[in-house]
Amino acid sequence: MNLLLLYLLLLKATVTSFSGLTSLPVVRNDLVLRYRVLTDRELNAAVVVGRTGPGPYGLYIVSVGYFVAGVPGAFCGYLALVTPAFLIVPILRYLGARARRPGVRSAIQAATLAAAGLIVASTVPLARDALTSAAAVAIAIASFILLIATRLDTLWVIAGSAVAGLVAGFLL
Amino acid sequence: MPRPPLRTLSALFARISNLTFGGGDPTMAALERELVARRGWLAPEQYGLAFGLARLTPGTNFLAFCAAAAWLLRGWAGALLAVLAASAPAAVVVVWLTYGYQVLKGNALAMGAIAGLLASAVGMMAAAAWHLVRPHVRRGAWLRALVLAGGSVALLLGVSMSPVAVLALAAAAGFFWRREEET
Repeated sequence: MNLLLLYLLLLKATVTSFSGLTSLPVVRNDLVLRYRVLTDRELNAAVVVGRTGPGPYGLYIVSVGYFVAGVPGAFCGYLALVTPAFLIVPILRYLGARARRPGVRSAIQAATLAAAGLIVASTVPLARDALTSAAAVAIAIASFILLIATRLDTLWVIAGSAVAGLVAGFLL
Repeated sequence: MPRPPLRTLSALFARISNLTFGGGDPTMAALERELVARRGWLAPEQYGLAFGLARLTPGTNFLAFCAAAAWLLRGWAGALLAVLAASAPAAVVVVWLTYGYQVLKGNALAMGAIAGLLASAVGMMAAAAWHLVRPHVRRGAWLRALVLAGGSVALLLGVSMSPVAVLALAAAAGFFWRREEET
């Protein structure tokens, strides 16, 4: 895939989202469904990679770029990740007061709720690909519960899931 | 307020951002301790403004926060250096981890562990969606949250509407349908 097109598609995903994984539906729509340069399994792996290391979860975009076009693709992903960050400076200078208006704030909240719905919708095909055994279903449910109900570091959830998968692979 | 040297500012963002696990929120909390409480470079109100506007800025909130906080301290040069320092080392780690995944995916032993990791990603995504919805699921706001989040699922899965269109539609709906405290 052309690197400029890859950058623009990833930029479209990051610039239309308001937090780390909310860009996922747009990425899947463009790269998995439309251009078919990424598989659901690779996208799922990119999410894991993005959450395994330090830094913001949005870094999964770098992994997506790598899956599509190697190191140059990862660089496109990185540029797409950091570009929107600088939009805050003009916002800080000129729009700070307006951003507190109830209508604008409410619109942003609604977009965030919609983003949550879009993440759920994106989870369905990924779950279909990843949850192919009882052990995998149990790992997914345990991860969900640990992440919403405890303050356990994500890294421990990831490490525990890898060990559980390894053990299940031996036993089953 | 003291004006930190660019090198010191970049080093701080690099150290905190690339050694804190768990995503942007814990990292922003760690930076609050350093920028406001320990060093006094930012007033609490400035931190609050950067934090709040980062939520409204498209893209990764945490990087927008870094740009805003550093811009308040050292202008455009500070913003550019802070964003690069906060993200470039972690991005290199991500590339190495992705390479490792590709190398190991042919190994039968590693496949079991990878299957566990992929399954946990499903749980993580569901948890991420819940974390976004949870603040809105309370008295007087749960119906709005249900309609907006549930409607988005239905529009994407049911009628294959594009995600960008769904977000725009939700934002327009949110502008007119406000929570009680927003009106």
